[in-house]
Amino acid sequence: MAEQGGLEGSQPVDLSKHPSGIVPTLQNIVSTVNLDCKLELKQIALQARNAEYNPKRFAAVIMRIREPKTTALIFASGKMVCTGAKSEQQSKLAARKYARIIQKLGFAAKFKDFKIQNIVGSCDVKFPIRLEGLAYSHGAFSSYEPELFPGLIYRMKQPKIVLLIFVSGKIVITGAKVRDETYTAFENIYPVLTEFRKVQQ
Amino acid sequence: MSCKACGLRTLIRDDATENMICDSCGTVQDFTNYQERTFNINGPTGVFISIGSSGCGSALNYREKKIYEANNLIDDIVFKVGLTGGSKVSEIRDMISKVTDGQFGSSESRWFGIFVGACVYVVMRNGDKSLSIEEVSSVVGCDIHELGRMVVRVVEHLGMKLPGFDIVGSFERVVRSLSISDRVEGDVLERMRKQGIFLVQCAVKWFLTTGRRPLPVVVAVLVLVAELNGVEGVKIEEVAREVHVAVSTCRLRYKELLEVIAKVAQEILPWGKDVNVKNAVKNAPFVIRYLEMKCISKSGGEQKGLESTEFDLGEVVGEYFSKNVVEDSLECEDLRYFELEDAMGFDKTGIDEVDKLQLSHECLSMVYDKFLMDGGCGRYMEESGKVLGRKRERELEIQATEWWNGKSELSKKLLLKQLLEKDIGFSVMPPSFVNGCTTIKKRRAKIKAAKLRIDRIMNPWNTDSGSGKVCTVEGAHDRKRKKKSLVKDIDWEDFVIETLLLHQVKEEEIEKGYYNTLMDLHVFNSGTM
Repeated sequence: MAEQGGLEGSQPVDLSKHPSGIVPTLQNIVSTVNLDCKLELKQIALQARNAEYNPKRFAAVIMRIREPKTTALIFASGKMVCTGAKSEQQSKLAARKYARIIQKLGFAAKFKDFKIQNIVGSCDVKFPIRLEGLAYSHGAFSSYEPELFPGLIYRMKQPKIVLLIFVSGKIVITGAKVRDETYTAFENIYPVLTEFRKVQQ
Repeated sequence: MSCKACGLRTLIRDDATENMICDSCGTVQDFTNYQERTFNINGPTGVFISIGSSGCGSALNYREKKIYEANNLIDDIVFKVGLTGGSKVSEIRDMISKVTDGQFGSSESRWFGIFVGACVYVVMRNGDKSLSIEEVSSVVGCDIHELGRMVVRVVEHLGMKLPGFDIVGSFERVVRSLSISDRVEGDVLERMRKQGIFLVQCAVKWFLTTGRRPLPVVVAVLVLVAELNGVEGVKIEEVAREVHVAVSTCRLRYKELLEVIAKVAQEILPWGKDVNVKNAVKNAPFVIRYLEMKCISKSGGEQKGLESTEFDLGEVVGEYFSKNVVEDSLECEDLRYFELEDAMGFDKTGIDEVDKLQLSHECLSMVYDKFLMDGGCGRYMEESGKVLGRKRERELEIQATEWWNGKSELSKKLLLKQLLEKDIGFSVMPPSFVNGCTTIKKRRAKIKAAKLRIDRIMNPWNTDSGSGKVCTVEGAHDRKRKKKSLVKDIDWEDFVIETLLLHQVKEEEIEKGYYNTLMDLHVFNSGTM
């Protein structure tokens, strides 16, 4: 149980790393790992309670665990994709847990080439953004098609990250392999966004 | 051939069932009872398939046939979106040919129809023709996202850059193509068009279009403009059906538009307090007039402040009141209403300052009726006299020609850059942003309440501070209600917030509302290895 002082206790944002004062929250981590053995998916589906397998719909077993709350796609080739974790460590831990489950089902699963493939983060800049203006002046990077999608899709070149920018000031940052890319991308875009902010009355 | 059961060769054909049965044991044999019927009484039957002679010619002209049929499909789609002949059609055809390397595609395959639709859309969009994706998708018969993906692929393949969607052009197109355009007189239609453009551009300024599909906004503006010009029979449902968009979205946009107009009216009109969404349509002429004047004054470089623009309403009403022409037709108690203070704070001679300005619609209506009969500046035409009996129309009705000037820049199509720089005198926040702020405020209150609850439990003897009394978000005022609400108003969110606070999660983090993430990271602390 926390001390009472802990209720107010909040560490200030490291302004040298986050000059905007806003730290994007990581929402989803996707990682892959090679279990390095051929798997009998039907057997896994029959033996594991937390697995679903419908070969007509998708050629992989979908397995879920509660802690960390994640979902894995397990393919017959032994490759596995783990999604839904909120941090890199969680993702790795979850992947290990899945590998262990597969081992317990009688396969010689290893844990090779674990890699974070994608990190999705989101944050709120707390001011409305004039998407039309942003799309107009950053035309080379952005695509804004309100007929199809309400947000502006900003494809940043360096780091190679995609940002979804919404009029409400909410931002989704995706495509990063490491956490810092997410942060850098946000710090890069923040001054641009302030340029197109709607001045609050 | 012998029986599968007894092995004897006593198989016979049963006449009734035509099955092969064993005469000695009676077992039905597994043989198929298929009988080849190549011929019947009329000669050969069935379809004979032979290779090398498909269709009318030979297999060699398959390609020509495919291209011919593809061209037919292109013609069909192009015709249905209202393009016939001309350079655009050949441009579309060239684009299709270029993307497919001159192979076109089978007109029977679904993708080719979508692809043609995408090319039509891209060409029209490039030529600023404002063809909406909904219209194309309804012609092609596919989902707009399917079409949208194809558009993106075509654009990427050709390395093009599409210009931004032109909502004003889209409005003009809808006005032109709509079935009402035959029923309405030319000048009314032209006025509707101009007012519509004006309002659409205002909607752009007010963030009503940002991040939204453009067509529902267009429909909402069109319906409002039709209503203001007294054009009968322009229903949201019908217009939405004609332009292939969801009715509910159009209704929502219409409501949002009225909300903003009501908000502007509340700011600028002397009787602003009485304006709400329900009577916003009646007040819309004044609002539009105000905005128009504002635009003209700004663009004319007369930065005199509000007086120059307020003149129109404020001065007219003020002059009228000061003339004391009201006494004959009005009840004495209504007189207090005419001691008017303008909402924007300019006081004309003869207007005393009154804090609360409360004008009822009936009262206003009477004032304006009188004013109109007086010929008030020759601007307004009296209409309401005739319909005084009917409740709905008892309020002021003025003809569009009188309140609409049509000279402001905003009633012409502006470039996006010009539009964004333009000041229309009143700005609002985007609805999604406002909602976000409300949610954060609510969460902040919940966090505060949760902290107080925790505080009370941790320091039970420290109740004299008084802080523990407000335990719920509502902070129930009377003591009786407080006890009940204490139990009732705590929901799952409060518990989550409490848990997070106890796990020393930062308040700013909780405010963002990503509860699942925070719970995963801080409460079910499984990530630490």
